[in-house]
Amino acid sequence: MTDTLTVQPELIRAKPEPERSVKRRSKGRAYPIFRVLMLTLTVVLFVAPLVWMVMASLKTNVDIYDPGKTFAFTPTLDNYINVLSRNNYFTFIFNSFWVALWSTIFSLILGVPAAYAMSRFTMHRSAMVVLMARIIPGVSLLVPWYFIFANLKMVGGFGVLILSHMFVALPLIVYIMISYFDSMPLELEEQAQVDGLTPIGAFLRISLPLSAPGLATAGILSFIFSWNNFMFALVLSGANTKTLPVAIFNFVSYASIDWGSLMSAAVVVTVPIMVIALFTQKYIVSGLTAGATKG
Amino acid sequence: MKRHSVRIAVIATAAILAAGVLSSCSSAAPTGGSTAASTGSKTIRVTLANHVWTDAIKAKLPEFEKETGLKVELSQYGEDQLSAQYNVKLNAGTNEIDVMMYRPLQEGKLFAKDGYLANLSTDVKSDPAWGWSDFQSGPVGSTTYKDKVVGVPIITEQEVLYYRKDLLAKAGLKVPKTMAELEQAAKAIKAQNPGVAGFVARTAKNAAVTQYSSFLYSFGGDFIGKSGKSAIASDAAKKAYAYYGGLIRNYGPANVSTDMSWPEAMAIFTQGNAGLYTEADSLYKNATDPAKSKVADTVGFAPMPAGPGGSKAYNVPSWALGINAASDNQSNAWKFVKWATSKKLTLAVQQAGVPSARTSVWANKAGTATYPADLAAAIAASTKNGIGHDRPLVIKVPESRDIVGDPLVVAITGGDSNAAADQASTAFQKLLDAEK
Repeated sequence: MTDTLTVQPELIRAKPEPERSVKRRSKGRAYPIFRVLMLTLTVVLFVAPLVWMVMASLKTNVDIYDPGKTFAFTPTLDNYINVLSRNNYFTFIFNSFWVALWSTIFSLILGVPAAYAMSRFTMHRSAMVVLMARIIPGVSLLVPWYFIFANLKMVGGFGVLILSHMFVALPLIVYIMISYFDSMPLELEEQAQVDGLTPIGAFLRISLPLSAPGLATAGILSFIFSWNNFMFALVLSGANTKTLPVAIFNFVSYASIDWGSLMSAAVVVTVPIMVIALFTQKYIVSGLTAGATKG
Repeated sequence: MKRHSVRIAVIATAAILAAGVLSSCSSAAPTGGSTAASTGSKTIRVTLANHVWTDAIKAKLPEFEKETGLKVELSQYGEDQLSAQYNVKLNAGTNEIDVMMYRPLQEGKLFAKDGYLANLSTDVKSDPAWGWSDFQSGPVGSTTYKDKVVGVPIITEQEVLYYRKDLLAKAGLKVPKTMAELEQAAKAIKAQNPGVAGFVARTAKNAAVTQYSSFLYSFGGDFIGKSGKSAIASDAAKKAYAYYGGLIRNYGPANVSTDMSWPEAMAIFTQGNAGLYTEADSLYKNATDPAKSKVADTVGFAPMPAGPGGSKAYNVPSWALGINAASDNQSNAWKFVKWATSKKLTLAVQQAGVPSARTSVWANKAGTATYPADLAAAIAASTKNGIGHDRPLVIKVPESRDIVGDPLVVAITGGDSNAAADQASTAFQKLLDAEK
């Protein structure tokens, strides 16, 4: 059921409202005002740091600290030029993208059939084992991992980064997909099998296409988690395979901090993932409402 | 059927684990060894912190590679990220790092105790022309562990007084030479210039410890007494706590945060919102560079004002180069260390604004030509009377800084700093006892 959670709050809010306003007029007026206030407050709280980040990325280092120039300042693109041309940021963007992409793809390939099996054959204890991977803090695994991968001569390559990010992505995907498959009517597959498909055929041809919205949710979330992951990449990446969150610290030196470049690098890290999230969010929601459960 | 598969899984897991343990034992890296003859690969893997020093060295790397025919693979990280790396990688006995830039005072003792740093005692003495005796004794003391040299100091740091020439002139005051004059000047500047603080310095309990240390020494105290016991509740220490806290409380910025490290304190100073500021000299470019500072034209430098114990600033090696004891490329790694710390390169790096640990470079006029004259003089004074540490010399440095810094915050917020010092001293003594 968790897959429909994202739409439920809106449904709940949209429907009972007219009833309430009929019953209690005074409260009917207070509620929208309260709602607008709270929404504004939330938006301001969430957006303010982003706005500050974008503005700081367009300022010089002296202006960033000047409270008088918070909003009125002469914008400059020097920071972006510094980040993108002089610091090889395109390499780091590619690294982040490459690692996120493949760790998501491999996790989907492994995780989705696993989730299907766990859902259909009620293997809840196995599901618990997968969940363990989420419970164990990643830090505690870093030393053994580093030891193993260093002996395998894999540290510094993309392989180890993809593997380590799969550690985060796989349990996530399995859990999202278990609940998705749980909510999918068994009759669809039984019908398919009656019509002559094998169980695997039913999974591939019926369940999998119908679970596209769930796959999208799981895939996007795992992509975002990988994109933002700092800890694993810090230790396991090499000079040429650094991902964006690690590379950002290039602008923090022992005796000087280049805030302007730091902020523009942060914008470079944040913008792609926000764009992806904004566009795909629409897809997820429309996908959910057209889901198989309503079919 | 189910039981059966579970059993197989358990056996298989156990077998894999056992095989892993066995292979790890047999291939365990040698630790604590010296730079014994090892041919090693032609590539040296060097891990450095983001620092002006690193930038200067990076620019010269092609020369080294040409001279020696070796290849340098450089990884660079921020200070905290570097620390996190070392903790994981060295703990796992990595041989992927050959040369490592580390902080002798922050982690030196820990790394040396754990055998991560190779013994360089014979290497440093192998070439008189390179000149080990040329390095200042204070910093060398910090890169020596149990009479073994484990690192070569590359960057030193002293505490100096940053001040605004215009504000002092306006108040008709001379540059403060004693703690009493410093307080007087701070008071006058605050009174004459609304919105401008008389004095600013770090206030976060962990970050402020190093900058407070010079006050502590100048009041005649230290963190650890001669007997090896906690000395942070001594009369001198209590006076120093109250003085440092009082300066910021009475003449500091309004509503001062107790979470300021150097970026915040420096920002207040460089925005023109404070008259006096005690800070590490290695940060001076933040104040003198017009691209970062609004007071670049009016900033002056002076030695730490003298307290009852004299003017005693710290003079410490903030960074050093060490060689990973588990590296199998130690002789080539030493070649890099030797080159990077040679007289020629040290001079070039110092000219780029990084105070070095070599006496000859400081004696050389070219070595101080790029510094503001008053800063060079202040550094010279601090080097002469300097104390070789700016934080408690223990293994658990971060914890000890939290303990020792606590009374500072109490003093800044107007609490009873004497009681806080007594309390901190008890906790600090416990930490010292546990490390014995």
